[in-house]
Amino acid sequence: MSPFDPAPQRLRRLSQAAGALVLALGLVGAHAAAARRRWAQEAAAREAALRFLPSADLALSSTSRWLRHPALAEPGAPFADAPALLDPDPAGALLAPPRSAFAEVPGGTVELVLRASDGPPARVPTSSPSSSSGKP
Amino acid sequence: MRRQRAILAFALGSLARRGGKNLAVGAGLAFVTTLLASVLLVTSALQAEHAAARGSLPDLIVQRTVAGRPALVDPAQAAEVASLPGVRRVRPRVWGYLFYPALPGNLTLVGLPEDADDLPPALEASRDLAFEGRAPRRAGEVALGAALAERLAVGRGDEVGFPPPGTEGSFRFLRVVGTFVSSSALRTADVALMAEADARLLLGVPEGQATDLAVDLTTPLEAGVIAERVGGMFPGARVVDRSLLGRVYALTFGTRGGLVAAMLLPALAAFLLLAWDRLTGLDARERREIGVLKAVGWGTGDVLASRLWENGVIAAGGVGVGLVLAYAYVHLLRAPGLAGAILGWSELYPPFTLVPSLDLGVLATVVGVLVVPFVAVGLVPAWRAAMRDPHESLRGAG
Repeated sequence: MSPFDPAPQRLRRLSQAAGALVLALGLVGAHAAAARRRWAQEAAAREAALRFLPSADLALSSTSRWLRHPALAEPGAPFADAPALLDPDPAGALLAPPRSAFAEVPGGTVELVLRASDGPPARVPTSSPSSSSGKP
Repeated sequence: MRRQRAILAFALGSLARRGGKNLAVGAGLAFVTTLLASVLLVTSALQAEHAAARGSLPDLIVQRTVAGRPALVDPAQAAEVASLPGVRRVRPRVWGYLFYPALPGNLTLVGLPEDADDLPPALEASRDLAFEGRAPRRAGEVALGAALAERLAVGRGDEVGFPPPGTEGSFRFLRVVGTFVSSSALRTADVALMAEADARLLLGVPEGQATDLAVDLTTPLEAGVIAERVGGMFPGARVVDRSLLGRVYALTFGTRGGLVAAMLLPALAAFLLLAWDRLTGLDARERREIGVLKAVGWGTGDVLASRLWENGVIAAGGVGVGLVLAYAYVHLLRAPGLAGAILGWSELYPPFTLVPSLDLGVLATVVGVLVVPFVAVGLVPAWRAAMRDPHESLRGAG
């Protein structure tokens, strides 16, 4: 191999760059693992505090009840103030759960969060209130 | 192995000869990776946060709606639900929202039942990690979320005035005895926890009635069956099944992350177009280079392997740097700018730290959306150039 052959030098530089990248990714992994360990240690405390709250929803928007507690608000909540009224909260487009998260059960009296069971999401009945999608 | 090593060394030389151009493409790839991975990291961290909290919720939550709006639950209805076989305990809960003019914003008021003796010790045991001070044990005491206490500039021992409904100008003063902190802050930013009597007064909930019912079951697996029975017990009943809340959260944050990711599509498309332009339009020098390689005995496979190495090095470097930057942006800098779009906004915004979720889906998505098309896009023109007669390539380049 010629002393002027640039190939070994190029490969050395590549391995140095690859090493630096792997090190950076390793540091990211170590940081993530440490943060998750701390988080797991706080699990009991977090659950103790959660037992007092109406739901586990995050307090990311306190402007409207359907955004503060999306899991508990009925699907029509943003539109309940007047017929055909649009969602008055600008965050509604981003924060509210999609309509497909809810379904009706026979009789049309209950709006029950879908049973996730095993299959794909059931379709929300639109024509007949007595149809039976969303059943467990 | 030696052969591939030599081809790699040649590819590196080739990359270095067009250093400026390749650096620009690598930086573009890193930037687009940072954008896409940031959205995915925030979304997966939020979904993990929700998934971890579901265990502390009641098996079923029973609400009542009248004319499509939430209504109070009567004691008789609570007793009716409690009489069902399989129901272990029914807790009528008093909670709701109060507009606080001084903020201005809504608070979530939660009443602590008088008979819930086991709850305050559980809260106080979480000292410093989720709660500081003590839980309210009698009327006239309150525990506040960290963001609320900070916004009102009150601490333990101070008194806070809450306006009861229909009493213009008068306030019910409660003494702050504790604050939710740290790991619970993300859920308690706007929470005021108080004795049930105070919550009833401030929310206007008559004695005996409740906002909803928290139902614990003997066998949580029966939740679906009991939910359906409860649904038929009184008109307007609405039942929320704990085991399904994960689906609501996954859909909610998946939709939001998807919307923001969709907004990034023009950037992704622009980058791939740029990469396509850069990689498909082999210039005369590159065609001549391939012609020379073929003339000295390189096979088509060797030329393609060299091009694969070139693109692979740029892609691995760009995506690796992009992932590191995305992690630092989301988990060290707390995603300024992006957090507002995905997490929402509020008068009382919690001081939160998202916990990194070790989701391989993020990596798979980035590789599938960016790396594979980037590497593939450069192979076709190299293959076409390699299939040409070397003489023609050299003369055409001349």
